[in-house]
Amino acid sequence: MSVLAAEWLKIRSVRSTYVILGISLATVLMGFALATMAAGAFDNAPPARRPDARISELEEAMVIVPQLCMGILGTLAVTSEYVTSLIRTSFTVVPRRWPVLGAKAVIVGTLGLLVGPVAVFGTYAVSRLAIGNRFSGAYTGPFIDKLPILVATGLTVPVFALLGLGLGALLRSAAAAIAVITGLVYVFPIIIGNIPEPWSERLGSIMIGGLPRQITGGSNDSSVYGSLLSPAAATAVLLAYAILPLLAAIWATQRRDV
Amino acid sequence: MIELQHLTKRYGGTLAVDDLSFTVEPGHVTGFLGPNGAGKSTTMRLILGLDAPTSGQALINGRRYTTFRRPMREVGALLDANAVHGGRSAYSHLLCLARTNDIGAVRVAEVLEQVGLAGVARKRVGGFSLGMKQRLGIAMALLGDPGVLMFDEPVNGLDPDGVRWIRDLMRSLAAEGRTILLSSHLMSEMALTAERIVIIGRGRLITEATVAELTSRYPSLEDAYMALTADSIQFGAAR
Amino acid sequence: MKAVMSSEWLKLRSLPSTYQAMGAAALMVVLGMAWTFYVSGLADQRGSLRAAAPEEGFLPLVQISLSVLGVLAITNEYSTGMIRTSLIVVPSRSTLLLAKTIIVGLVTLVAANVILLLTYSVSRLIADGHSLGFNTTPLTDDLPILLASGLSVTALALVGLGLGTAVRSTAAAVGSVVAVLFVLPGVVNYLPPPWNSRIATFLLPNLVPQMAGERLSTRLGDGLLSPWAALAVLVAYPVVALAIGHHILRRREA
Repeated sequence: MSVLAAEWLKIRSVRSTYVILGISLATVLMGFALATMAAGAFDNAPPARRPDARISELEEAMVIVPQLCMGILGTLAVTSEYVTSLIRTSFTVVPRRWPVLGAKAVIVGTLGLLVGPVAVFGTYAVSRLAIGNRFSGAYTGPFIDKLPILVATGLTVPVFALLGLGLGALLRSAAAAIAVITGLVYVFPIIIGNIPEPWSERLGSIMIGGLPRQITGGSNDSSVYGSLLSPAAATAVLLAYAILPLLAAIWATQRRDV
Repeated sequence: MIELQHLTKRYGGTLAVDDLSFTVEPGHVTGFLGPNGAGKSTTMRLILGLDAPTSGQALINGRRYTTFRRPMREVGALLDANAVHGGRSAYSHLLCLARTNDIGAVRVAEVLEQVGLAGVARKRVGGFSLGMKQRLGIAMALLGDPGVLMFDEPVNGLDPDGVRWIRDLMRSLAAEGRTILLSSHLMSEMALTAERIVIIGRGRLITEATVAELTSRYPSLEDAYMALTADSIQFGAAR
Repeated sequence: MKAVMSSEWLKLRSLPSTYQAMGAAALMVVLGMAWTFYVSGLADQRGSLRAAAPEEGFLPLVQISLSVLGVLAITNEYSTGMIRTSLIVVPSRSTLLLAKTIIVGLVTLVAANVILLLTYSVSRLIADGHSLGFNTTPLTDDLPILLASGLSVTALALVGLGLGTAVRSTAAAVGSVVAVLFVLPGVVNYLPPPWNSRIATFLLPNLVPQMAGERLSTRLGDGLLSPWAALAVLVAYPVVALAIGHHILRRREA
């Protein structure tokens, strides 16, 4: 418990935390700006073209910002200690070592759990507000139908925080960890989109970006992601992204010299 | 020769260095003393152009540091022995610095030999002890064979052998006619090494005197320091 | 200046992270080979197919790896404190940044072009005789996109150097480069037309096809810039980032 309090104080007392949280939550404003632009474009369009005008889910597009930000937060929670050698002190005062990473995981995971849904629901709310009954598509149905996908999308954010933490502890370098996250989230899907079937669909199904829709039983038809997983399997894959790197990191930290 | 003329540095609301004027002459070691936060490191940073003075100026051989084209040949400085990239070897680290001032690899090997690191020259600096890093920092300061040398706490982390080595090095560098400014908190060591002493507190000059003058007025250099800085022990800008 | 450049060259050469970043970028050659073997096998079953060229499909890997190299060239000096030592031996901050810019620029330009050309030629050799879509055009037709791809890598590495100088944090600088490379284009896709293509046309990754006179994507259609205008915009990215970094480096305490 005292380890948890110490880690909370560490993360609370650095400026970068607030910058990252600020940018994560600023996505709501960016979403509002995009939705307002879209609404303006709709109003300026000739009436004949309006029935065909569709809009995609802005909150699902914008979630990459809090995802990346919280991934960086998770990474920094541990790599900043390696840069400053504070990690030696941390492991000296908690010689079992895993509670340090465990406590960091609880803190960044909880922050992600708060930030993710706030950003996603916030973006959805302001987008719906700005768009009103203009487009067909994302913002027409009842809110209750959107609830599962919004929750699932929001939950990817804490997964990124834990993924960042695990990779940061494993690689001990902010640059390497962030580069790997970037590869996983941005570079892979681009490459997978170019692969012929059946592997494009298979690999596309386990990419993080395609998991929320599979968790809610939907499909990823219009994207590079696949739709092969059942909701339970998709949930398991999402959790694996968070947990496996963290377990590997704990295993490595117990064995490695600091 | 180092000349400080009404040097002043303000960080926000804190006066780290306050109208500081003194001269460091060649030919002997000048000890630079003061409590933690007195402004010693800031003064050295100002002399080296890392920070810009709010007013006043610091001159080395009559010029501002930033106007030197090959500063390592004029001034050698060790501010922070840990300010090295742990991934480089000692040799590469020194060669990186040497090249900026057109200093060759032969000289790098010479200074490594001189500070006793020749045997670990190809080892990563990350694995060095603090004492070895201090030696590396001193090697860097000596690279350009400069006439002016400044050392901030070089004795930290050195073993007794290393402490004696530094003392002898400082004295012999001064005997060659160089200007040496040396900051340290070890009074007994300072009494053995320095000939003149500059004491500052809260960014202001307290005393400028020879060690002989101070030890004739007080029982020891330590007693002199304690008496003179009694009013100044207060942490200012910790930089 | 030559002396400082020679020092910066040695600094880059003497760090493990440089080789790791280069290695990650050079994975493109291996991935390109695996890719070509794989699609050649498919072509044996199906006759012919249209697959993406490996040097285009894997370009983001080279872009992100070498821009991390650019970021680290300055941020590792800040994280270790080495910057103070560097500024003691080179008091002119403009000279230091300019030397870094030239070295990072040259190193990434050479590395990117070697990796791209290797990937290009090896994949064409492996694809020999198969009709894979990407291997039907002669090198002279592919040269513009290859050169544009190489330039984009250098531009991104220098954006990384400039942003790294400005923010002094590896994480923040790499995050910003990722935003320029992936997040912005991702978000802009969701804008309603015509805003999506109007803005997308100026985004860094989209400048590569425009420099080669190709369209942005099936969704966005043609870009608005001529090849030379696209080149000018590409150059503007690092110039702006480095100008900001330079301004901040000059003004701030080290």
